[in-house]
Amino acid sequence: MVDHIVRSYDKELEALERRIAEMGGIAEKMVIEAMDALASGDAALAHQVVNTDPRLDALQREIEEAAVLTIARRQPMAIDLREIIGAIRVAGDLERVGDLAKNISKRSIKIGAEARVPRAIVGLKHMNEVATELMKDVLDAYAQRDVERAHAVWERDAELDALEDSVFRDLLTHMMEDPRNISYCAHLLFCSKNIERIGDHATNIAETVFYLVTGETLPSERPKGRNDYDVDDDASARP
Amino acid sequence: MTVVLSTSEPRMIPPTQTSVTPVADTSKAKGVAEKPRDKLVVRGLNFYYGETRALKDVTLSLREKKVTAFIGPSGCGKSTLLRVLNRMYDLYPNQRAEGEVRLDGEDLLARDLDLNLLRARVGMVFQKPTPFPMSIYDNIAFGIRLYEKLPKAELDARVEAALKRAALWTEVKDKLAASGLGLSGGQQQRLCIARSVAISPEVILFDEPCSALDPISTAKIEELIDELAEDYTIAIVTHSMQQAARVSQYTAFMYLGEMIEFDDTNKVFTAPRDKRTQDYVTGRFG
Repeated sequence: MVDHIVRSYDKELEALERRIAEMGGIAEKMVIEAMDALASGDAALAHQVVNTDPRLDALQREIEEAAVLTIARRQPMAIDLREIIGAIRVAGDLERVGDLAKNISKRSIKIGAEARVPRAIVGLKHMNEVATELMKDVLDAYAQRDVERAHAVWERDAELDALEDSVFRDLLTHMMEDPRNISYCAHLLFCSKNIERIGDHATNIAETVFYLVTGETLPSERPKGRNDYDVDDDASARP
Repeated sequence: MTVVLSTSEPRMIPPTQTSVTPVADTSKAKGVAEKPRDKLVVRGLNFYYGETRALKDVTLSLREKKVTAFIGPSGCGKSTLLRVLNRMYDLYPNQRAEGEVRLDGEDLLARDLDLNLLRARVGMVFQKPTPFPMSIYDNIAFGIRLYEKLPKAELDARVEAALKRAALWTEVKDKLAASGLGLSGGQQQRLCIARSVAISPEVILFDEPCSALDPISTAKIEELIDELAEDYTIAIVTHSMQQAARVSQYTAFMYLGEMIEFDDTNKVFTAPRDKRTQDYVTGRFG
């Protein structure tokens, strides 16, 4: 892209992008570590995840402030306008991803080293791997303005939805087998929901990348990993 | 359902004008799906200043009762294009236009066209306010008298209506006999708009109407353009992209005499198709 005639304008846009990259790195790390802490019962690591969240919140606020200032001062048009609106939206999604990772960590602190049914966590770990990949892919797609890659993430989220369903059935089975598992498994149920929502935010970012690059929006209906008659609480999950 | 034809004049409509679809009175909201009728059509227009070709195969149309903005860097031909639309170039030797320019189907480039009548139908407001060195009243009445002989009372009414239309009446109604040159820049510009409006044109051309005005006067002119678009077809040349984005429904981006992109204003300023348009509207032009 050719530089702006006013060079400080380019600097402002670059600064926005740098902050988004930083947020992406932090959020991605939080998601990975939250699951590690949950799987290994590592309370110290879980606390670390919780303590990282304020940094993410602060970055989001900085991005919003900088974006508002740029809009006010430069009256951005076309690609610049889409970049700035995109930055605001991506920052919002990443901040939520951080919250979800934090929530998983808080639960793992509560559960402690209880790990009653170790095999119950296998499905969750798999979900988290997929979510992490989606996050990584979509952040790369954002950094490289890669529509194809963003579109792939957008389609792949269905996989995560399907996994959530199977984890749900697994955990239900464990709870029915032994009522003493209920409290533990209920926490894991929330964790799986959180991971599924992380995927939704990755999808949101994919939609933003698509808009940012093309100026068009993706259709509101995306491929579903669930059967139609299943409960679909996507509406509440996706802001 | 009653269908209202969007043409108000009983003018002949040429067969080429396919878009004369009966249009139910749609809302005034910007960007309504219904495509308005083409009022003024330009096809394959070339313009020469002596040997220099200033416009190259320009094609576009001004939609009826909409505002179309021409943007582009200095020397791109946007003012030239505007000057063709009311044959302003006829005043100068060695300037000629080739191609097709039609107002409601009527050939505006025809040699035998009555230019005075044309300029009554296609009014123009210039960059610098150009009030005549006469009273405010006469500034408006002068144009009317050129075309019509009216009794005093009727002339008074027409002057008042024009000044009201240009949102200037309340400011000048007590000093109609004062010189037009005594008004502020913004008021002078609105006086010029009132002068155009007074002779009931169909199209009004604005050539950078706000570039000599302060932000408040600019806002008043923009508000006025919004209002005028209810009755007139408007074209505006402007150096301010923000102004084009604010006042127009259609935007044409011109570069080196060519029409690069002509589309809905919303589209041009959020997701233009051509890279040159994008570079220009984002301030990246080298």
